[in-house]
Amino acid sequence: MLEGIIAAIATVLVVASIALLVYILRGRSSRSDIVSNDEIESIETYGVGSASPAGASASPGGAPGVHVKTSEESLAKPSQRLSGRFGGLAAFVAAVFAALGAKLWSMQLLGNAGYADEARENLMKTVSTPAPRGCIYDRHGRVLVKNNPSQTVLAEASVADDNDVIKRLSAVLGIPEGVVRQRVKDESQGAQSQRVVASGVRLRDVAFISEHSDAYPGISIEQRTLREYPYGALAAHALGYTGAPTEEELEKTPKGRVIESNDIIGKSGVELYYDGILSGEKGSRRMVVDAAGKVVNVVGETDPQKGSDVHLSLDLHAQYVADKALAETIAPEGDIGTGAGVSASVVAMDLRDGGITVMANYPTYDLTHLTDGIPQDIWELYNSEESHSPFINRAINGQYPPASTFKAFTAMAGLAYGFANYGSTWRCTGEWDGFGSGDIQKCWELKGHGTLDLHGGIVNSCDVVFYDIAKSFFDHGPEGTGELSETALQEYIRQYGFGDATGIDLDGESTGRVPTPEWKADQWRNVPSEALWLGGDYSNMIIGQGDMLVTPVQQACAYCAIATGRILKPHLIKEVRNGAGDVVFSAEAEVVAEPDVDNDHLEYVRRSLHDMLASNNMLSSMYARLGVDAAAKSGTAEHTDREDDAWFAAYAPYDDPRYVCVCVVEQGGSGSTVAGPIVGKVLAALQESDENPEAEAGYIGGSSGVSRVKEFKGGGGRQD
Amino acid sequence: MPLPQIDSVVAKPKHAMPYNAKRKSKLATYVCMPLAVVVLLLVAYGLLICWSATSNDTAYSFTNQLVGVLGGLVVMAAVTAFDYRKFTGMYVVMLVVSCVLILSPHLPIIGVNAMGAQSWIRIGVQVQPGEFAKVTIVLFAASLVARYGGKLNDLREYCKVVGLLVVPFLCIMTQPDLGTGLVYLFIAATTLVMGGAKTKYLLVSLGIFVAAIVCVFALDELLKYQTEDGSTEYRLLKQYQRSRLLVFLNQDSLEATDEGYNLKQAMIAIGSGGLFGKGLGASTQSALGFLPEAPTDFIFCVLAEEFGFVGVVALLALYIAMVAISLHIARSCDNLFGMLVICAIVGMWMFQILENVGMCCGLMPITGIPLPFVSYGSSFMLVNFAMLGLIGSVYSHENRVGKGMKYATAR
Repeated sequence: MLEGIIAAIATVLVVASIALLVYILRGRSSRSDIVSNDEIESIETYGVGSASPAGASASPGGAPGVHVKTSEESLAKPSQRLSGRFGGLAAFVAAVFAALGAKLWSMQLLGNAGYADEARENLMKTVSTPAPRGCIYDRHGRVLVKNNPSQTVLAEASVADDNDVIKRLSAVLGIPEGVVRQRVKDESQGAQSQRVVASGVRLRDVAFISEHSDAYPGISIEQRTLREYPYGALAAHALGYTGAPTEEELEKTPKGRVIESNDIIGKSGVELYYDGILSGEKGSRRMVVDAAGKVVNVVGETDPQKGSDVHLSLDLHAQYVADKALAETIAPEGDIGTGAGVSASVVAMDLRDGGITVMANYPTYDLTHLTDGIPQDIWELYNSEESHSPFINRAINGQYPPASTFKAFTAMAGLAYGFANYGSTWRCTGEWDGFGSGDIQKCWELKGHGTLDLHGGIVNSCDVVFYDIAKSFFDHGPEGTGELSETALQEYIRQYGFGDATGIDLDGESTGRVPTPEWKADQWRNVPSEALWLGGDYSNMIIGQGDMLVTPVQQACAYCAIATGRILKPHLIKEVRNGAGDVVFSAEAEVVAEPDVDNDHLEYVRRSLHDMLASNNMLSSMYARLGVDAAAKSGTAEHTDREDDAWFAAYAPYDDPRYVCVCVVEQGGSGSTVAGPIVGKVLAALQESDENPEAEAGYIGGSSGVSRVKEFKGGGGRQD
Repeated sequence: MPLPQIDSVVAKPKHAMPYNAKRKSKLATYVCMPLAVVVLLLVAYGLLICWSATSNDTAYSFTNQLVGVLGGLVVMAAVTAFDYRKFTGMYVVMLVVSCVLILSPHLPIIGVNAMGAQSWIRIGVQVQPGEFAKVTIVLFAASLVARYGGKLNDLREYCKVVGLLVVPFLCIMTQPDLGTGLVYLFIAATTLVMGGAKTKYLLVSLGIFVAAIVCVFALDELLKYQTEDGSTEYRLLKQYQRSRLLVFLNQDSLEATDEGYNLKQAMIAIGSGGLFGKGLGASTQSALGFLPEAPTDFIFCVLAEEFGFVGVVALLALYIAMVAISLHIARSCDNLFGMLVICAIVGMWMFQILENVGMCCGLMPITGIPLPFVSYGSSFMLVNFAMLGLIGSVYSHENRVGKGMKYATAR
């Protein structure tokens, strides 16, 4: 306010001084050039006032002989009578210039800083230049994911209404008009973001569009680095795909990162989990732009820094073998249903450091199709029910009843609580009704195994042996003698990591489930008749059926405990190398837990597992041929409404365990026939890869998304 | 009545300029030198700014502007030589010519509709006859009012005069072009005031004018209706006209409309100029296209941005000098018609300056009124030179005492 007043006063002064200057100028000039008012008056007086006698010359230096006559009544100049009006006009003129001057003073001198900032804001623009993502390698340094610079044509949403532009784009890019329009209308990356019309565009086409930018309003060209996957679908779930961020992802940007809508970010797998490491540091370019957004010149620039390279513990060769084996098992003719099972997962872990060496799933997707988001057709194909969800990483999100593979742990439980010892024997008739409820539980071998000890129980996977151990837990529980709590078995089991996330370096890992009376009560809270925890729940759980659920990666970790006596935290990362190639992070073995178990018991179970494999003629000969000396356990999870799930878990070599591998084939049938060979191949591949880092690897294709599974007509019983 | 004693006048060597003819050049008797100098500076300054403003925009041609100035000089010389007194009393002719000019864009073949207004005609080149009509309207208003000899006290006559003066305004509103119409009104008002209309009548007229504006807005408020797409549309003033007229009143929310954006960019251009400006051609607001219509309506912003407050004051000073000298000539004029012509011209200039500069810095509503001698556009440049020619004609014909005396006596 005060400043405004000062400004106004100052301006008035300025204007006044200008007026004075003009006046002086005018006075001087009038003396020489212009006839001044007074003089004109006198002339006028001559002209029309000569009738009156009075008056003399008004001019000071009047020359002699001049007779000037003036008269008040004479006809004056027209302005004389209107001098008041002239005064008014002059005042108006002064007011106009004073007002304008004051306003300009306040804007240009007092408000200058603010306006200057706004002007600068108008024209300075900072854009970030994307950094190439880091590459991904396997444990031997073989590249799994690399970068591919790609010219990308982007369109604003408004281009959808501009048929001319769409026609021209179609002509230049050689893409049908309908496809161009469809891509421009695609809102899958957000309504506001630019739409990708074409990636990998030829440089000459890009140059043409750039040169004729007037004809392509709303079209921009960007060089993006797109991912390139030499092996297609190999380890697709572990690696994950990339794409432009969604609205939600833009909103919840992690600290210390700037994500813009045109960026490429990790969407799943390692790409997502290590996005911060892979993404690198964006460069920035500060530019002067004109009103149309055209760059006038670049003021400053910092170069982008490529993301760090991530070396995974994955083994390319073994991964290839696993992916191939799964595809061949489930879809030997390309479609699900032409082999055994509908989906499957294989996880292998290095027992020395916890590194995941294989993580394969089927059905799977070809990463090559997902270099820039998920195309609509792929999205629709893989969202159909019969595609069996290729995007799910079953290794961490597939939850299955562990079936007989669980018996290794429940046998340990029986030994630990003394409900079984090296000398105990059981008699299996194929049927068991230990609780006397009349509800007869059967062994998978309906004919019965005869008399056997715990070792035999494990080797033959005899259910009756374990039913009896379960009964012991029940009898010593609250319903019996009360020596044990009702969750003693569950607590023992949880030592092996069941029911908890393993902590693998992937997002969204499932935890599996260890059923407890509390859980059951909650689960069936609306059906009280079913909510009661019964002895049968123990006997179901102890053979890994029913409500018990594990993920393949959990199972791998648990078998790690059998093989080594400790549970390692599984991880996909091996090391991180920065742009200079220096190792900046190196994963080490992290022991999560060491189950409190008797080493003798452990040795007993290991031997039993070793013998189990040896007792299976088909598998033992196959493993021998592959040169794998493994301890293993098969399992077949029974379902009433669909084919059984096949399980197989093994570690090798038996006397110096290096790798554990588990495999589950959903609706695959028998564990040892379907899953066992896959595990054998993977273990063999891992051993081979140790000796030959350059072992064979090849392209893996995505699944067809088509299912030819026949309707389930009821199983013919379980065959472990 | 005795004849004027010319001898004695001739004997006055120092003061009555014509008698200095031996010492002063002959040119000075025809041309008011201070005015010529000021106008020369002003035109040169204007051309400099115009060159800077058009240099980045291929839609405008600086050559055209130069041609306009040169043509203007010819027109000015011709008009100066012409005895303006021949127009005395020719108000009917001038009114008819004005109306024909203003209405000519409605003619079928030559009329051009641009940006929703029928303001242009194409006769070889595209011109705005409404601009040229300013000259005839100045002559019309001055000759009409001059009939009353500096005294307009009769209500009937006053009403008649006002009624005739409003006719050009009504004509231009058919285009419609409110900005130019307001210039006509201001020319008429200045002539009325300077022509000695009774103060009471003037004040009542002003009151009626203000009331009419209020009425238009009030009536519009009553007549407004909902369009099919749910927005409100007014009948008398279109939405864009309202927003242009009212945008300067709420400068807090300038981003909302195009007009608001334009005004904001204009103000940024002026404000960021500072004391000395960014230098010739170094403007960012206009050179990089943020400033709309930079060479025409918003050329003042280019000047303010490139030359700062100093440059702005220089321009205003030149305007003040031009107006002051013109008024001085008017005051010294023996002929009421001549005096009124000059006053009407000054009135026109003042209104255009006030409106154009005021619009740029947010003091006035946005209307498309160009800045005299600076804005791009040869039509208006020609008009301004014609106006100067008229002032020159008044100056030269009133200062050649012989003729002037004869005229005065004849009357």
